[in-house]
Amino acid sequence: MRRFARDRASLAAAVALLVVVVASLSGGPIASTTLGHNGEDLFPYAVNLSFKPVGPWTRVPNVHNAQSLADSSLAPPPKSAGRALLILGADGQLGRDEFIRLFDSGKASIEVGIGGALIAALIGVPLGALAGFFGRWLDAIVSRLTELVMALPMILLLVLVSVRLRSTLVPISIRHVMPPGVFEVAVTIGIFTAFYPLRLVRAQMLTLRNAEFVDAERMIGASNFRIIVRHLFPHLLPTLLVWGAVAAGTNILLEVGLSFIGAGVPITTPTWGSMLTTTWGTIYAPRPYNASVYTPWLTIIPTLAIVITVVSLNQVSEGARRALAPREL
Amino acid sequence: MTRVLSFLARRIVAAIFILVLMITLTFVIYWAIPSQPASLVYPNAPHLTEYQIHQAHKLLGLDRPKIVQWADYLSHIARGDFGDQWQGTQVTGKQTLIQAPISSTLFAKTRLTASILLGGAFLVLVLALPLGALAARFQNSIGDRVLSLLTLVAICLHPMVLGLILRTVFGDQLKWLPDSGYCTFLHHHASTAPPSQSFGFFGVPTPVCGGPLPWAQHLVLPWVSFALLFLALYTRMSRASVLEVLHEDFVRTARAKGASETRVIGRHVLPNVGLRILTMIGMEIGTAIGVCVYIESAFNMRGLGRYAVDTFAGTNGLDLPVVLAVVTMITVVVIAGNLIVDLLYAVFDPRVGATSVRLRRTPGSEPVVV
Repeated sequence: MRRFARDRASLAAAVALLVVVVASLSGGPIASTTLGHNGEDLFPYAVNLSFKPVGPWTRVPNVHNAQSLADSSLAPPPKSAGRALLILGADGQLGRDEFIRLFDSGKASIEVGIGGALIAALIGVPLGALAGFFGRWLDAIVSRLTELVMALPMILLLVLVSVRLRSTLVPISIRHVMPPGVFEVAVTIGIFTAFYPLRLVRAQMLTLRNAEFVDAERMIGASNFRIIVRHLFPHLLPTLLVWGAVAAGTNILLEVGLSFIGAGVPITTPTWGSMLTTTWGTIYAPRPYNASVYTPWLTIIPTLAIVITVVSLNQVSEGARRALAPREL
Repeated sequence: MTRVLSFLARRIVAAIFILVLMITLTFVIYWAIPSQPASLVYPNAPHLTEYQIHQAHKLLGLDRPKIVQWADYLSHIARGDFGDQWQGTQVTGKQTLIQAPISSTLFAKTRLTASILLGGAFLVLVLALPLGALAARFQNSIGDRVLSLLTLVAICLHPMVLGLILRTVFGDQLKWLPDSGYCTFLHHHASTAPPSQSFGFFGVPTPVCGGPLPWAQHLVLPWVSFALLFLALYTRMSRASVLEVLHEDFVRTARAKGASETRVIGRHVLPNVGLRILTMIGMEIGTAIGVCVYIESAFNMRGLGRYAVDTFAGTNGLDLPVVLAVVTMITVVVIAGNLIVDLLYAVFDPRVGATSVRLRRTPGSEPVVV
């Protein structure tokens, strides 16, 4: 821990990461209460005649519906209407608050990232431990299967499974904590990234199973289960931690990819990926940039959020690796 | 030479084994997923009748035992025949089928994706090596740090966004290059894009779509998108590899013999690092095809990546022959990539004998870009 704290870059990354995670998980409701509207509220006056949204720090009439006039312009807002502050501007044609949506999206994206890594670990660690510890045919089967699946483009497997499992898994959600669709994407990503922890754990098990302390355990009559869980598992934790941080970042990027294919979290739940698709479309309908309808902010804001999160995760992982294995700098 | 030949023979046997395994696995998974092939044969029927389902199974040969279907498919694949797709099948009055063959479509799409992959990989190799070498040579300088940060940021840029930004700037606004579509390398093939007369390669107009020049014109932007994305990854790796190789004994020997720094890096370090990077590219072909899905889509090309996604996402039910064709083709491309890299190794690096026969991958290497 002290070694980690001495590494200034990693410490800064860890702080940034903490801020991003806390802000994403709790920022949405707080911002909604403070500003007086939520991420789903429509602001018809936040877009101009060609539906181009307003930029950051704009005050717009605080009304959620407006009459269209004959020349397709909007009727002037009622005098009594107050003004709502859109800190990062509006999110696109619908004129929703980009600032609040950024937090809501962050919640979904970060939950996919961390959830995917947890599920991958849940599947991969026991399998890898068994394959590495018992070896022989079990190891042979698991290893060959891993190599086969890892050779294929992962995004295709994700699409295949996500399209089939959608109807069953999407409705699974926890009110206010986990929006619908997040669990589905996390599970799909978790299944196909389970091969990474599997291989890591297997490789470590192969060296650990012949260690002297394992022989000692055997001699005093400990069962295989006890040896693996009580004595070998603690040795795996540092490796898994280093892997987990990188994996969470990779999962966030995978989610963006799935959103572009339209196989990700349903459009009703915003994610950082689906924020990008508002400007650029999906693979079925890619949209070159249209300056009269979109603003660069709609790309810059979610991209910046992704960059900060993923870069911090990578740096924290790197820092943890160095702190845990100081000799191999 | 015999060493390389026997290595090649063993690898080909292993490749065939993997291919058969992959096809078998696809069959098993397909049978495990509930599907209704009849809905592809009778797409207009609101409710499939018992007779239609029965008839469709009979016409498509699905009433045969599963082992026969599997063996039949393998025997066709062995002759390079990918069969006919189910989607769009027409049933004639005499209860025979009119179907579109898969092979020609599949090969055309594979050529497109291979064009992107090869050109992109070449660009990556040409750019990542010197950049990584410079970063390693001036380790911890400002330039090195800026480069490190830039590569990290670039990893987070999605290929779709990157491709569409390039398309907007260089295709739509500056009009230096065609903004979308593809022209085949040879003239006589039917092209997938209308002739793009309005766009020139820095002013050189192209009258017809087809031929090396229009081919390259349409591919420049996809190549650059691909390269920028993987450059981020490989510059980091190349920097780390250069740092590692710089500590090898032969580098010290070269320095001791009075070789200049440029010669040490250019003649002794870079060839070593180049081989390593080539290996990584060869092993990441699966990931690269995944990236091609987005690059092809961003530039309105219809290549293998996009074909695969459309097939796998098929909402009407899976079109088994196409799924099998796509899986087979991707496996072949991945195995071929691994094989080429290993062959280059066996030919150029005398230290390496016949290495492991299976598909290999660096442990812990994460496909960061997807």
